[in-house]
Amino acid sequence: MKRCGVFLLAVLVLMGGMVFAEVKNPDTYIYLSIGEPDTLDPHYAYDTASGEAIEMVYDNLIAYKGESVTEFIPRLSLEVPSLENGLIKDDGKTYVFPLREGVKFHNGSDLTPEDVEYTFERGILMDPYAGPMWMIIEALFDYQTIEDMVGDKLQIAWSDMVNEDGTLKSEEYASKLVDFYHQYIDPAIEVEGQNVVFHLVRPFAPFLSILSQNASWSAIMDKETCVSLGLWNGEPDGWWKYHSLKKEESPIYEKAIGTGPFQLVEWDRAQQKLTFVRNDNYWGEKPKIAKAVIWGIEEWSTRRAMLEAGDADQIYAPLQYLEQVKGMPGIRIEEGARITITALHFNWTVEKGSQYLGSGQLDGEGIPPDFFSDVHVRRAFSYAFDYNTFIEQVLQGYGFRVPSVIPKGLLGFNENLPMYNFDLEKAKEEFQEAWNGEVWEKGFKLTLLYNTGNEARQTACEMLKEHIESLNPKFKIEVQGVQWPTYLDAYRQGQLPAFIIGWLADYPDPHNFVFTYFHSKGVYGTTQGQAFLDFARENLDSLVEKAIAETDNEARQKIYEEIQTIAYENALGITLYQPKEIYPMRDWVKGWMFNPMRSGEVNWEGIYKEE
Amino acid sequence: MTFYIIRRLLFLPLTLLGISLLIFLMIGLLSPYQRLATFINSPERLKGADIDKLVEFYGLNDPLIIQYGRWLKNLFQGNLGWSYVGKKPVYDALVERFPYTLELALFSIFPILFLGINLGVISAVNHNRPIDHSLRIFAVVGWSFPDFVFGLFILMIFYSVLGWFPPGNLSLWAEEIVKSSTFHNFTGMTTIDALLNGRLDVLGDAILHLIGPVLTLTYVQFAFILRITRSSMLEVLQKDYVRTARAKGLDERVVINKHARRNALIPVATVSGQTIIGLLAGAVIVETIFNRTGIGSFMSLAAQQLDYASIMGGTLFFGFILVLGNLIVDISYAFIDPRVRLE
Repeated sequence: MKRCGVFLLAVLVLMGGMVFAEVKNPDTYIYLSIGEPDTLDPHYAYDTASGEAIEMVYDNLIAYKGESVTEFIPRLSLEVPSLENGLIKDDGKTYVFPLREGVKFHNGSDLTPEDVEYTFERGILMDPYAGPMWMIIEALFDYQTIEDMVGDKLQIAWSDMVNEDGTLKSEEYASKLVDFYHQYIDPAIEVEGQNVVFHLVRPFAPFLSILSQNASWSAIMDKETCVSLGLWNGEPDGWWKYHSLKKEESPIYEKAIGTGPFQLVEWDRAQQKLTFVRNDNYWGEKPKIAKAVIWGIEEWSTRRAMLEAGDADQIYAPLQYLEQVKGMPGIRIEEGARITITALHFNWTVEKGSQYLGSGQLDGEGIPPDFFSDVHVRRAFSYAFDYNTFIEQVLQGYGFRVPSVIPKGLLGFNENLPMYNFDLEKAKEEFQEAWNGEVWEKGFKLTLLYNTGNEARQTACEMLKEHIESLNPKFKIEVQGVQWPTYLDAYRQGQLPAFIIGWLADYPDPHNFVFTYFHSKGVYGTTQGQAFLDFARENLDSLVEKAIAETDNEARQKIYEEIQTIAYENALGITLYQPKEIYPMRDWVKGWMFNPMRSGEVNWEGIYKEE
Repeated sequence: MTFYIIRRLLFLPLTLLGISLLIFLMIGLLSPYQRLATFINSPERLKGADIDKLVEFYGLNDPLIIQYGRWLKNLFQGNLGWSYVGKKPVYDALVERFPYTLELALFSIFPILFLGINLGVISAVNHNRPIDHSLRIFAVVGWSFPDFVFGLFILMIFYSVLGWFPPGNLSLWAEEIVKSSTFHNFTGMTTIDALLNGRLDVLGDAILHLIGPVLTLTYVQFAFILRITRSSMLEVLQKDYVRTARAKGLDERVVINKHARRNALIPVATVSGQTIIGLLAGAVIVETIFNRTGIGSFMSLAAQQLDYASIMGGTLFFGFILVLGNLIVDISYAFIDPRVRLE
């Protein structure tokens, strides 16, 4: 019995001792992420996990060139439209894409220009709520949603015409909606021979970025396959029935049939694992790896253990775990800066009755709802944040400052623009001027919320608290962490006096950021209070709109600088940092390359493994 | 006895309805925007989201009674709704994940009971001697260890350092075999299916992936069984019939194993039943650390994301197991102890 045990032990130790000297799974690249795609339907997907999967399986018309976000190469199109080659016409209102021939979808179907036309029309008509199609709709038609457009053109609200289940409230609307399609949607995207032609209502500078690979909503689908699966049949009559189904009701929720370099083998939703194989019939350069696995593993320790053991080639690593991967044998750490910023913005008109206002009055025990509508208060806060210490210590150096909401790398960025620096003296002065001196005299109390699980934001709130409270004993800031649902609720109801919020570029153009933060209709613009909306309408809206309609880059640069200067003078927000990310991977990974517009952290087409 | 069983079973639907209503009413504590967090589950998803439209779209603004009514109506049509966490219908998600929990429970309960009962008996028989003390310390240490600490510990030693027991359900190569068309899934439990398919290599791989979770669960849970067994055994050893048996001249081993032990196991049966039911409910933390796709981690994710359809479906499922499990435990008494009458 004893001898058996010893022998068994020896065998086990031997097994364990067999440390791999060579690459594990040489033909398969395994990336560990957190979470999984939301949906594989390109017109619904708006998160990075979905984007990553879609980008592998589908091709777009064009793609970014290497690491650049301003230069393009042709993909399904034979050429990238430009003014020089004459494929951009009519002062930037017409784009012509000559389509490649001989390309096949994974199921054998041929790629035709009609597929491209169908893909975009379907997406525009579907326009799910919380989806990405607003970008195409804004680019082509200058509306934010198809429902807005229909409502405006037909002068009847969508909800007055169509029921929740897709049926019409009255048959007379059918012909109106069909006419709408023929008049506005059909002519916007046309097929001319082997060309696909887009007609915009006004020039839109970022149009090519919105179509490029890594913009998963512009992935090209096969009309025949889609129709056979139950998507919109391509007919104008009845198109409204397909509009905005629930995410899970989309027939291609978990299917992906594109022309891309990889084929989807399986989406295992129990294990949050996606498996892909190389498309050996790919029309372009084939990927070097034969198989790809993206696996969502929530627990950091488990991901790290697998990287260490070589069972994973690359993992998602939040910055706070840097120390745990630094110096791990067999690993190297790459870096990259995404086109994203994190900023603290103010609510100029907080909802009355918000529990974060204290007493709700300027009596030393609270703040009035319009506290932040005074520029001096905002400036004081802007001077009171220790930007550099935050970046050095909290981000461990993996981040840098930008003047306003436009990240480095985009048009409009200028590091010489004025910025607020950490200056407690100036903060004190501004507080003394705020609200005619009442703030300094009476003091104030407010609550800053952060959503739990986010250490950086928590620390930012605490730093602000510490420095501001040090100026005057009557200043009290409470910092409170809440679960995301509670934060979302408070945020939506306008109850937060200030909030820290980030934005990741949908496409690499300043408009994406400036519209979001500063336009009265922007996603964050609308949550900064009524007083801000008034300010924006008067001072910012027209500039933002002018900048996007302008086609000359130099002119655009000037307008964006003007906008950022207004932001500075009026302390519209405190841009905390533009972050850098770390990407730990095994030594045997070769060919890794970074492009900030990529949804994931792996360049699947070029990557391979070799000792 | 039959009457007793039928009566208990009749209460089942009522109990389940009651539980579901209770859980559902907790929705009333949340505002529609908070519930929207299921669909917008991080700040990144705020992009392009028309929050008010979404609230209406998902019916989050409707009065509670209408929302509950909707759920009930679907339930009677056999539809448990869509699971946002599982990304498939709730019923399918539960059915897919339960075998992993069941498998882990089955593989864990035997070591837990075996170790707990046998060591408990040894402890009691050697009352207050060194071996008793060491066993008790060993057990209390296990009981005191939070399962996430011990689990990570096991993962670190046996995976990171030694490379023996990897996390996950199966290795990639084994998974491919299981998912291929030649492999027949009879139960959904990889070990049993592998055996039935005659694939001993897959069986070996599945067991390798089970050892870590089983070790963790066993060490953390066996202490309870040990203590119950020990105190029950100590009590029984004082009884008259044990003295009689000894006086009769019976071999000490027979006295202990045949007479004392069986009587001592009655309270242990209750606790074991509870332990099994608890294991079937899914060991959340162990499943998360070792990346096993069981019910526990599923419900944990559903709770975090306020995925009400999944929570309700899972709750019904647990309720079912609990009621049935308790019934079986109660019935087993009648078999273990002839003095017990079920009314």
